[in-house]
Amino acid sequence: MHKELADYLNSVVSGADAKALEAEVGDSSILVATEHILKVCQALKDSEEHQYNVLQTISGVDYPEGVGEDKTPVIEVNYMIASFIKNTEVILKVRVPRGDDENLPKVDSVCSVWIAADWQERECYDLLGVDFVGHPDPRRILNPYDWKGHPLRKDYKAQEVYQGMTVYPEDKQNIPEQDFVVEQNRLNDEAKAAAKKAREESKKDS
Amino acid sequence: MDSKENSGNGNGHNKYSGEKLKSELLTVNMGPQHPATHGVLRVEVKTDSEVVAEAIPHIGYLHRCFEKHCENIDYRGNIPFCDRMDYLAAMHMELGYCLAIEKMIGTEIPRRAEYIRVIVTELQRIASHLLFTGVYAIDLGAFTPFLYCFDQREKILRLFEEISGARLLYNYIWIGGVWNDIKDGQLTRIKEFCDNLIPELDKYMNLVGQNKIFVERTANIGIMTPEMCYNYGATGPILRGSGVDWDLRKKKPYSIYEELDFDVPVGEGLKGTVGDCWDRFAVRQQEMRESVKIIKQCLDGIEEGPIMGKVPKVLKLPKGEIYMKTECARGELGYHIVSDGGKVPYRVKAKSSCFTHTSMLPEVAPGLLIADFVAVIGSIDIVLGEVDR
Repeated sequence: MHKELADYLNSVVSGADAKALEAEVGDSSILVATEHILKVCQALKDSEEHQYNVLQTISGVDYPEGVGEDKTPVIEVNYMIASFIKNTEVILKVRVPRGDDENLPKVDSVCSVWIAADWQERECYDLLGVDFVGHPDPRRILNPYDWKGHPLRKDYKAQEVYQGMTVYPEDKQNIPEQDFVVEQNRLNDEAKAAAKKAREESKKDS
Repeated sequence: MDSKENSGNGNGHNKYSGEKLKSELLTVNMGPQHPATHGVLRVEVKTDSEVVAEAIPHIGYLHRCFEKHCENIDYRGNIPFCDRMDYLAAMHMELGYCLAIEKMIGTEIPRRAEYIRVIVTELQRIASHLLFTGVYAIDLGAFTPFLYCFDQREKILRLFEEISGARLLYNYIWIGGVWNDIKDGQLTRIKEFCDNLIPELDKYMNLVGQNKIFVERTANIGIMTPEMCYNYGATGPILRGSGVDWDLRKKKPYSIYEELDFDVPVGEGLKGTVGDCWDRFAVRQQEMRESVKIIKQCLDGIEEGPIMGKVPKVLKLPKGEIYMKTECARGELGYHIVSDGGKVPYRVKAKSSCFTHTSMLPEVAPGLLIADFVAVIGSIDIVLGEVDR
């Protein structure tokens, strides 16, 4: 199914460069060229044959060490698209170079295709720092509007001070020695060792 | 007397004359702490006297970095975090997460565990909709239904407490099955509860649904058309309330829903237009009856056997990704899980239906009275824990 859809996209949008990524486990997906994502989405929505009328979510994934063989750091943006008329579903992917805080990766906004993209793209911008070009209202959505950085990037470090408050103060940190589970495991091990020792001693005595 | 004399000093410079009166939109902040917003949601409402001209939701007050936490904890350890997203339908949150992982590792779930899963999730759906019924009535100014609904919901919570040890956040559905078996006595009590619920539901429909004031407040208010729902990606009772027959339990059956016989209620516009607040209310009432139907079938069909499948002790997912969605009390919940082959997930993304539904508020709000806007917020039944994650 993914192969046919990729062929269809290549035939409708020139330069879409759609590739079906067949997975052995889990879901397969379709990778398209970043600069044509808007045209691809429009084509999927407009086509009589497929009628992908719902954008369910946009999920960004950060790969600082690249995907598979390719070692260029990328951010992958996944569009979960479904057709509630034909009862089908597909994952569209684009991969953009990761960039840095001053130079965010750029992807065309698909708000003009599905309004659902509005908040989903805002979330993706907030958490992963993807700049959606042409978005009507590019604000943060989950974090405060004056927050710095993009938390779901793998190399994210929280800012130290926010509005005069210390972020993640030391006495609230979950260091291993204070960790309840670790402590319980240590106590359990000690108790087991003591019991074993006692058993061995009682054997010796008898 | 001519009109000039009538206008005070007669030279047209009266400050109360039509041209001189200034009018501008008044900004009112609803929330973040407001009983009508069901949690910490702030809606910036621009009002023209009593009419809403523009509504801008500001969310994120409950943001707890669910997705970031998941990247640091192993697969089993994440289940309690899932609970805390939608704390009113925690069983559904667990089920979706576990199903996604089971699909990746290809575990066979024992039949008894499948039945128990369906029973508890449908009970949870009833509990969630009962809470909606009560709280929605409070939003519209009726206090009594709240007490009736919470009386019944309490019975479900007590059953859950016996089964799982907790009233709201269960950590009951585990990868491979369920944590604890349901005893025969508890099954009998679930059956009794289901038998008693149907007359209660009739009572609520008479007390709330057919109430003249309630109908006046909800019929023809906040109409959501199917096109609008598709465009925003709305699912669950919102989409069904707009007259679209879409239920994942029928369309993409997971667990054992394929074998069960139930109907999908859709909005019919009995009191007004299809897709208004009353339809969304009515769809939820009907869904509770369908849930009772499902539970009864499961109670008849449940068989003896183990409750946990074979899952490796150190759980590692094969490299790959999955997008798994389930039908929750409030709509579709999707988990996008990416694995790099390790013990912890590389990325977990939760698609929350409440998030999507909240984004519809700016579209519905313009032109409504403020009191009707409260009715709309109530009718989409959002839980802010799931919106903000």
